[in-house]
Amino acid sequence: MAALVLPAGLLVSMLLVAPMLLLFRISLNLYSPTEMMVEATSAANYLRAVADPYYRQVLVTTLLVATGSTLLTLILAFPAAYWLARMQSRWKSFATVVVMFPLLVGNVVRAAGWLALLGNGGAINAALLGLGLIAAPLPLLYNTGSVVVGIVAVVLPYMILTLAAVIESIPRQAEEAASNLGARPLTVFRRVVLPLALPGVIAGCVLVFVLCMNTYASAVLLGGPQFKMMAPAVYDQFVRGNNWPFGAALAFILLGITLTLTVVGSAVLGRRYRRGKLEEAA
Amino acid sequence: MILSRRGTLAAGAAFAAAAGLPGLARAQGKQVVVGTWGGDYGELLRQNIDAPLIAPQGIEVLQDVANADPRKTKMLAERQARRGTLDVSCLSDTDMHMMSQQNTLDTLEMGRLSRSGSIVAGLRKPYAIPHIYSALVLLYNPEKVTTPPKSFADMWDPKYRGRVGFSDILYSTNTFAAAVAGGGSFSDYGPGKNKLMELRSLDAKVYPSNEALAAALKGEEVWMTPMWLARGYMWQKAGIPLRHVVPSEAAYAIVFEAAIPRNSRNKDQAYTYLDAMLKPEAQTAFADRMGYLPTVTDARLPQEIASRISLSEADQNRLRAPDYDYLLRAHSDILDFWNKQFKA
Repeated sequence: MAALVLPAGLLVSMLLVAPMLLLFRISLNLYSPTEMMVEATSAANYLRAVADPYYRQVLVTTLLVATGSTLLTLILAFPAAYWLARMQSRWKSFATVVVMFPLLVGNVVRAAGWLALLGNGGAINAALLGLGLIAAPLPLLYNTGSVVVGIVAVVLPYMILTLAAVIESIPRQAEEAASNLGARPLTVFRRVVLPLALPGVIAGCVLVFVLCMNTYASAVLLGGPQFKMMAPAVYDQFVRGNNWPFGAALAFILLGITLTLTVVGSAVLGRRYRRGKLEEAA
Repeated sequence: MILSRRGTLAAGAAFAAAAGLPGLARAQGKQVVVGTWGGDYGELLRQNIDAPLIAPQGIEVLQDVANADPRKTKMLAERQARRGTLDVSCLSDTDMHMMSQQNTLDTLEMGRLSRSGSIVAGLRKPYAIPHIYSALVLLYNPEKVTTPPKSFADMWDPKYRGRVGFSDILYSTNTFAAAVAGGGSFSDYGPGKNKLMELRSLDAKVYPSNEALAAALKGEEVWMTPMWLARGYMWQKAGIPLRHVVPSEAAYAIVFEAAIPRNSRNKDQAYTYLDAMLKPEAQTAFADRMGYLPTVTDARLPQEIASRISLSEADQNRLRAPDYDYLLRAHSDILDFWNKQFKA
């Protein structure tokens, strides 16, 4: 049986593990403006990233945007996922395809659409100006709000599809039994649906949080030049600054923090879910 | 499931054969891979060099389209490789100098270029041919800026608060403009830092790309910007109300060059391509559409275009290339300041 994972294992080793090891080695080198990279075994790049208030702020912005976007996505996705999961109509397959439709469009193309909508000369400002509701265009673009909107639009289908799969497995009778015992809809949701859907919530949040932490296109195109998240900062160091060692160190810091938060977050929520099940059994 | 030794070897051989196929395909015909920008530049290469000058020689041109920074990164990443992916690389003079310093480029054998004798003397380099050039100017909207500016220092006039715009990708030349306005020079961008912070307090705006800046100039959101004269010409042609002045502090030249990476796989075709880039008819097409000046002595521009994109004799005499060695050393510091303090 172990041989079944061999092809995928080899591919991952070649395409992920080996480059990551190389990148880690690069992160220990030093940057030189004339030689680009000097062989060394130094933690200087990591220390610089941690000590520099600019990169600390970039990291805080990334964490806040990723957490906020994940929560907003969860709030928006849950009702849609519930509706999709409980749908009996023959249109269910069509509705699922509609949910997946945004995934067929690349991130950059989608961000370009937001630019056309939110820009100073975009559709919203043009309409408001045309109606005489505003005298000057509203600054809808190049701020945190526009980035969050762009990110949520990208990750919403992942959350909806993950939640819908779990909600579908919750027997409808569980909700009906709670209602028969006098529980109001909100109580049914809070005491029955949400706890049973918790594995889906955890999986969806982990998936979406990881995607949000690594956002690039939405941050660059909708955040503008003054808005910085970690992925564009890594790109800047590699491509604009030619400082590969520091870019590699930033990449590993981003990886480390994302991994730690997702592992700790899933463990805490998972323990709560298991404790709930045990209490139920008792 | 049991994997036999023979089966594993067969699978490995098939994988290796599949991986080697692109190499075989390359070897079958004459090809040249040109690392270039997309947009107008790539299109003009296709229309005026690839189709009329290269294809008739039985050479297929493959464009590897990217901005300059990713192309530089690719060249650096492939530096140790025996066989690279680019045969010709197009970059600005500053970037090309950096790539030359990193030992990624061949020294050109000028004898293999029939057109090398026509190159303008001041633009010759051992590692690259000059393709087109222009100058850094101050673009302004004459309807809003009624007193024509004379220098970069005019951007600091408080009456233009919030009306000066910058393109983020031109951080280096923007810093240069601030530096010379503050008493700096081609070899000292230091004074630019304070000047940029002053301009920041005057609500200068930064746009993510040249195109976004053009939209802001068109919508009269900003009225002034340091920019290449050639870009200004293109934007004027597109109907944006603009004039330009070569600032009194300095006339900074930008040359777009082409070179052959050391690990190019098709050197003969690469030389053929560079030679074609120096043909007068190819050069005049870039002048007409993009406003860049020819780098060869025998390219004749129509009078109407020449008058709009050429520099006066006095400005031409002041025109200087950047201090490449200084920029190589200071580049990281300039970018850090731009990102972490000016834009923060």
